Amino acid sequence: MPSQRGSARRRQRCVLLAGIAILLIALVLAAVLASVLTGSKEEANPEPLRWQGRGTTRNLREIVLGRCYSYLAEGHAELRDKDCLKIWESLKAAFVHKNPCNATTEDYRPLMELTSHPVPCNESLFWSRTYDLVHLYSKCNHHFLTLEDTFLGYMLDGLSWCGDPSAPGINYESCPKWSECERSSGSVFWKMASKMFAEAACGVVHVMLNGSIEAGAFRTSSVFGSVEIFNLNPDKVSEIRIWLMNDIGGPQSDSCSGYSIKKLRNILEERNFKITCEDNYRPVQLLQCVHNPDHPDCNLCISSTEAP
Amino acid sequence: MCVRRRCGVPAGPPWLCQASSSCSNLFVNNFSEVQGRKWKGEGTTPNLESITIGRCYDYIRVVNPAVGEKNCSELWEAFRNAFINKDPCNILPQHFELFFKLSLHAIPTDKSLFWENNQLLVNSFSNRARRYMALGDTLFGFFGDFLNWCGQENSTGLDYESCPTAAECENNAVDAFWRMASMTYAQHSSGVIHVLLNGSAEGGAYPVKGFFADYEIPHLQRDKISQIDIWVVDDIEGPNTDSCGHNTVQILEDRLKTLGYSVTCTDNYKPVMFLLCLDNPDHSKCTLSSSAPAAQRGPISSDRGGSWNKLMFVSFVGFLFRSVLVY
Repeated sequence: MPSQRGSARRRQRCVLLAGIAILLIALVLAAVLASVLTGSKEEANPEPLRWQGRGTTRNLREIVLGRCYSYLAEGHAELRDKDCLKIWESLKAAFVHKNPCNATTEDYRPLMELTSHPVPCNESLFWSRTYDLVHLYSKCNHHFLTLEDTFLGYMLDGLSWCGDPSAPGINYESCPKWSECERSSGSVFWKMASKMFAEAACGVVHVMLNGSIEAGAFRTSSVFGSVEIFNLNPDKVSEIRIWLMNDIGGPQSDSCSGYSIKKLRNILEERNFKITCEDNYRPVQLLQCVHNPDHPDCNLCISSTEAP
Repeated sequence: MCVRRRCGVPAGPPWLCQASSSCSNLFVNNFSEVQGRKWKGEGTTPNLESITIGRCYDYIRVVNPAVGEKNCSELWEAFRNAFINKDPCNILPQHFELFFKLSLHAIPTDKSLFWENNQLLVNSFSNRARRYMALGDTLFGFFGDFLNWCGQENSTGLDYESCPTAAECENNAVDAFWRMASMTYAQHSSGVIHVLLNGSAEGGAYPVKGFFADYEIPHLQRDKISQIDIWVVDDIEGPNTDSCGHNTVQILEDRLKTLGYSVTCTDNYKPVMFLLCLDNPDHSKCTLSSSAPAAQRGPISSDRGGSWNKLMFVSFVGFLFRSVLVY
């Protein structure tokens, strides 16, 4: 009978449509659930930005606080009112949760203000490409102070730090190298600290340069060549003495009469500074000999005697 | 009892390098303001906990990461528990046993450097464990160097007001620490051992009663040590009180040989001499044969007259040449 067959077909169609509808709803629900779940996973484990340099030094807080109190324990009268916890907080505020490629001098201004102290005249010692030697020398001769011997430099020398927009705000995996971005946390900090160190210098200042570098002892791209020399004050600084050190047994790529020093002289003389230069300043050369005692250049006129 | 690690004690020369300013301050109130203070010595270093925990992390993260992971808070607790709530005149080396157990790490073979009466010089010479690893370059030495501490009986607090001097209490917390440190350091030294002595020290280069004599030599492990090299170095302008084969150095050499060690001795060991010369570069002892004027490297075009001399020489040669041509 025609009406019975027609209603059966209609029923079949309804069941089919209902089945398709249920399937579609199930698919939509699955998709929504999946996106919600992966979304929350991303929020729980955000990936910090990736850079090429080493990450923030672990236990940065403890190290900075320990160095701060240690420096203060040496009894410098001009630092009596320094507050190490406040100093740490101002360092943290300078970089935590921030993009480490967009650092500004304003980020570090509170830290600089909290840690600044005067440097005695005739004691400022600048350097470029002579990190090990210049700091060995300043530790042996307390009449000289490098930036890393000042309160702020001492606290942060050798450490690495940078922030990240995602939680927890500090990137322990990697930090930008100076070559990766113009305004990395590290470069902005050290350039600002160097500028202030140069501004504070007075009397006779010294700079230790490396005469064994093929590219030249003085480079305009270095912090010394791009920041420090332009922030020395000709009204406060009476003379700039250059010590040009060659590595013991190393190449003599440059000297006081070389091209790069002539360039440095021109820049400084234009700013009305008096400049002198000495190749292989004796006391520093003696220090080099400590670590190269058997080199012919290190023969003492009175030699040691050995007794069995 | 000697108190080597309390700054200012080593008698004699103005040994250079490293932290002498921290030393000078620890004696500021030594014998003044005694009234109302329990002891004659300076009190515990302020913020001792922060300084030592900071140093611990500084060491394992920056100075010498090769030592691996250490729990610096645990280290501090072990250190503190050694002397708090006890009679500050009765602290013994073994009270620090747990601290040293936790802070122990390998001392590279051939790098041990023992010393007497020249701590600041040694710090410089060892170059922060890169060249040698003196006691102050180990984690446990680095932890406590140039600091001061003591506790009080019936109180868990540190005494920041005053601490007993060695004269007041032989068994004070600081000396107990350094005795244990010396024993531990000696026990874990191996290969060629170096000993740096001050040949200008009053009373002789080798103190027969001292940390090296009483705590280090007895704990050297003979089967781990191949040789002992003694260096006796005089101050540049100091007296030559002692030297190899004489006086107290002879006593030391004999003692070590009797114990079965192979011993060498060098007077005025050159690398250390260079360090002493920093303050006296023009002294006759400090003249480098390579720095005589004729042998000076390269022209020095400075305001010190180098270029003027060159000009005169060239003019003279030119004059001679012209004279020859005229003839």
